[in-house]
Amino acid sequence: MAIAIMMIVGIAGAGVYVFKLRADNATLKANQAQLEQSIESQKKVLEQQKQDFNAIMESNKKLNNLITTFKKDLEDLDKRFNKGKRDVGKLAMDRTGAIERIINKGADNAARCLELASGAEHTEEEMKATKKSEINPECPALANPGYVAYE
Amino acid sequence: MILMTGCSFGEKRIKIFSVEEPRAKLNLANPDALTLEKVRWIIITSENADEVFKKLEEQGIDPVLFGLTDQDFEMIAKNFAQIRQKLQETNNLLEEYKKYYEPEETKK
Repeated sequence: MAIAIMMIVGIAGAGVYVFKLRADNATLKANQAQLEQSIESQKKVLEQQKQDFNAIMESNKKLNNLITTFKKDLEDLDKRFNKGKRDVGKLAMDRTGAIERIINKGADNAARCLELASGAEHTEEEMKATKKSEINPECPALANPGYVAYE
Repeated sequence: MILMTGCSFGEKRIKIFSVEEPRAKLNLANPDALTLEKVRWIIITSENADEVFKKLEEQGIDPVLFGLTDQDFEMIAKNFAQIRQKLQETNNLLEEYKKYYEPEETKK
């Protein structure tokens, strides 16, 4: 009798153990799937971070280049007034008409630069300009994208 | 008993789930570009002053000029250049932000 009870309990215990193993197996499989999914999403996040970093670097580079051209434009403007021992006041007294024309031309160019900086469309002439005689010397980088500075 | 329970056993569970609703795009229109008026500069010296005022009168313009010295003219030219650069810098910054945060809208 006792042996029979022990056998029944043993068989029942083995059955419970098998069920537990099956349940554990199912849990492990689910965990595995979750981990694989997690790795995949992590890969996507990393890829996105890489793209964002590149975009930030590109934007910074663009803005730094812009600031460099600003400095150059200001230096060029200063040169136009003070190159060597140039004295615009004295020049204006000696050659009033010529300087007046130059000043008015420069003012028109500077106004055009302001328009472009505010988002105005380039004209075909501005886009095609590649020679010094064709460009807007007040802001060549902005006004004439096709122009490459040369001496 | 079945009639009283309406053929069902136990209360149904309420499921609450949240759906992430993306923030509406700002999509402000770009500001209109400037169209500036043409300004005429007149150089006046002690020698040509009479002639300049006479010409103004002949053209029906009040014979009065608002003056700048050559040094002040240089300063105003540089100030305008700086204003233009700031405008350009701000517009570029805005464009880069838009490109970064709204890449799809920027492509269109």
